[in-house]
Amino acid sequence: MVNIIWQNPILLILVPLGLAFLTPIIGLISKNFVKYVPVLGMLFNLILSIILLPKVIINPIIISIAGWKPPFCINLFVGPVGIIFSILISLIGFLVAIYGINYIKKGPIERYNILYLLLLTGATGIVLTGDIFNLFVFFEILCISSYALVAYNQDKNGIEAATKYLIQGSIGSAFILLGIGFLYGLYGTLNMADIAQNISTVNSPTLFIAMALFIAGFGIEASIFPLNAWLPDAHSSAPSSISAILSGIAIHIGIYAMFRVLYTIFGINNVFTFLAIVGIITLLIGEMSAFKQTNIKRILAYSSIGQMGLIIFALSIGTISGISAGLFQIVTHTLSKSLLFLCVGYMIYHTNSMELSSLKGLGKRMPLTSFLFTIGTFSLIGLPPFIGFPSKLSIILAGLKAGGILFLILIILMLCATVIEGVYFFKIVQIIYFREPEKQDRIKPSFTFLLPAIILAILIIFIGLYPDLIHNILNKSAGEFLDKLSYIKTVLGG
Amino acid sequence: MNFLYQNIYYIGAFGLIFIGLYMAAAKKNLIKIIIGLGFIDTGINLFLIIIGYVQKGTAPIFSKPGLNPAQMVDPVPQALVLTAIVINVAILGLALGLAIRLYRHYKTLNVRKIRGLKW
Amino acid sequence: MRKIISFILLIVIFVGIYFALAQIPYGKNKMNVSKHYISNGLKENGAANIVTSVVLNYRGFDTLGEITILFIGAVGLGMILFGFETKKKDIKPASLILKTGCKFLFPFILLLGIYIFIHGHLTPGGGFQGGAIIASGFLLNYLGCSKKRISEKGINIIESLGGAIFIVIGLLGLFLGDYFLLNFLPKGAVNTLISGGIIPLLYITIGLKVGAELSGIIYKLME
Repeated sequence: MVNIIWQNPILLILVPLGLAFLTPIIGLISKNFVKYVPVLGMLFNLILSIILLPKVIINPIIISIAGWKPPFCINLFVGPVGIIFSILISLIGFLVAIYGINYIKKGPIERYNILYLLLLTGATGIVLTGDIFNLFVFFEILCISSYALVAYNQDKNGIEAATKYLIQGSIGSAFILLGIGFLYGLYGTLNMADIAQNISTVNSPTLFIAMALFIAGFGIEASIFPLNAWLPDAHSSAPSSISAILSGIAIHIGIYAMFRVLYTIFGINNVFTFLAIVGIITLLIGEMSAFKQTNIKRILAYSSIGQMGLIIFALSIGTISGISAGLFQIVTHTLSKSLLFLCVGYMIYHTNSMELSSLKGLGKRMPLTSFLFTIGTFSLIGLPPFIGFPSKLSIILAGLKAGGILFLILIILMLCATVIEGVYFFKIVQIIYFREPEKQDRIKPSFTFLLPAIILAILIIFIGLYPDLIHNILNKSAGEFLDKLSYIKTVLGG
Repeated sequence: MNFLYQNIYYIGAFGLIFIGLYMAAAKKNLIKIIIGLGFIDTGINLFLIIIGYVQKGTAPIFSKPGLNPAQMVDPVPQALVLTAIVINVAILGLALGLAIRLYRHYKTLNVRKIRGLKW
Repeated sequence: MRKIISFILLIVIFVGIYFALAQIPYGKNKMNVSKHYISNGLKENGAANIVTSVVLNYRGFDTLGEITILFIGAVGLGMILFGFETKKKDIKPASLILKTGCKFLFPFILLLGIYIFIHGHLTPGGGFQGGAIIASGFLLNYLGCSKKRISEKGINIIESLGGAIFIVIGLLGLFLGDYFLLNFLPKGAVNTLISGGIIPLLYITIGLKVGAELSGIIYKLME
């Protein structure tokens, strides 16, 4: 029970939603103010999430909507994992909104900001809910906003990528809804804790089909191996601020939803070994495909696919150290990939081309931007003073601790993939710094671009140097994911 | 035959989903793919309502005082279907808008030919 | 080739689903949560239509998400079709039957829609159904007598206000009673128009909003 109204976690969802609804009216009053609405909304979310973090680590907060007791109502389960994701979402949302103030210049700006806020609202709703149909509704909010935002530029590539994304994404949503239907038909309730309590009373084929449907449905959004055909097109044809949001938030939320359903409702079983293998295959295919691309945004998109495979592998190890390592890698990837996309967006804005060859010599023309880009790449590869190093190290340690010959082989494959990743990222850095540019002028970066990029870079270096700051929080949250019984007890009251 | 008679609704719902998936996966015209998505949605909504059916049940509305609550159909899947229909309307609207734009750019709706973005 | 592969894949999925469905018999009473809703819904809410009390009170958060999705659909469509020049082909004027029919039928269709969503808590129906009927009235108006049209600004304002009022009503529940969407107005006698707490208010809001949005979508697609 939360006594202070302004600290009620439901405001994390309601305030951005309300601001998004009011934006057309704000747009009627003053057209220029519309650009600042997402900034304010996400700033509020960020401050509220940080305030709630110490409370939530002690005890998860349960908020019931409309005053009835769970399982007869929808409840929000605000646990450590939820608040960490909420902090990440609001941080990246805030920074990219600042970037977007000057980056998005033509087109229907007001609608862009509405959809941007709604995408982040959907993402926050997914991580905070405790009811499976509510998860589906917020997941749809996220997906539909991203379908529309990918097509923002209205050029040939954007519309085609958005169409492919839409068709595959809606088939995925159909699968999830089928899975929910099966679960409801078996148990008669939609509350995640209630289903988790009853799950042992029915035997396998229906549950297996339901689980397969959920993995397929959420896997399309999370881009697991056979289901990721939409990602390279969508992430490379969207405007760069949207690519940063998609790569940094949307696909991670897909993975969160999949693992929340798998861990909390279904519990641990053999499907995790299968997922670990699929994760490593995704990693290898992502990195190898990135190797022969010449379009810089497609390289980053394939690298996202690879990193998703890595995160899935880490999260399916099934132990506390594995989940904590997976969460750490999510933090790394979010910060680094957003930084990379912001820098690349700025570079493309000035050179007007997305090919690798046009990045020649930008080290001399835009020194600060190239430096920030280099920080992003090094942290993704996993070099020491940046955040990528402790996160990859903890994945390897978790895999080795889990034991078994299978995990050993997978770890070796993961290291090979890291080497490939290093090769192509170094190639890009070499093109930026060590080739001669075609024009010789210097470009001064603007304030709205520098501020988010520098904040991200500072976070990357700071957490890289002191990883223990987050390690404790992540370990506790990993405990929440694994501990099905305490989840049920917290929600249903023993 | 008795099996068919008992499960006819399930067969209907999954038949619709099956047809829809086939159309979305294997047809060439973009409009047919979008219609296939509509089929999938209808099939899933039908499946959800079937889950909530109780034998000889009526609509869960207390229009006269004294109706027996044990003979009412499950109201929760009906709420789920309301939401699902609205979601699918929004997706179909977006898909049609994108199809209009795509036709403007490429002058054809053949999905095999719309391959501007290759590997 | 592609057709054969997809066909085989679908057969496999279908067979798997058959084995899964064997666990869910048709027509059996498997309600856990719904038993509580049906037996206690009347006392706790005052609305005679249990589906309405489920949609707006017990699972009201999903309804909030749903109107958000409709809002996203309308805004997204506006974004995709922004600045779309239509070649003005000369539209054949509608036939005489359609013109007179539409002028005559349009107010009745609007009335039917408004009736359905105001009585959402007493009879089957509700905000979404009523809103769809209103939108089809506007479609008829567009097809038949294409002179009168509601301005786009008005549609946008109704949409935003509808969503904002829904959230404000919910927040009032939060301030007055510590739960979002708490039913804080008195529940009148069963089966009268003023009953069921905040449910009629919410449905009126939803009905107007959905009607406005669907009309907006139809207009944009027609342009």
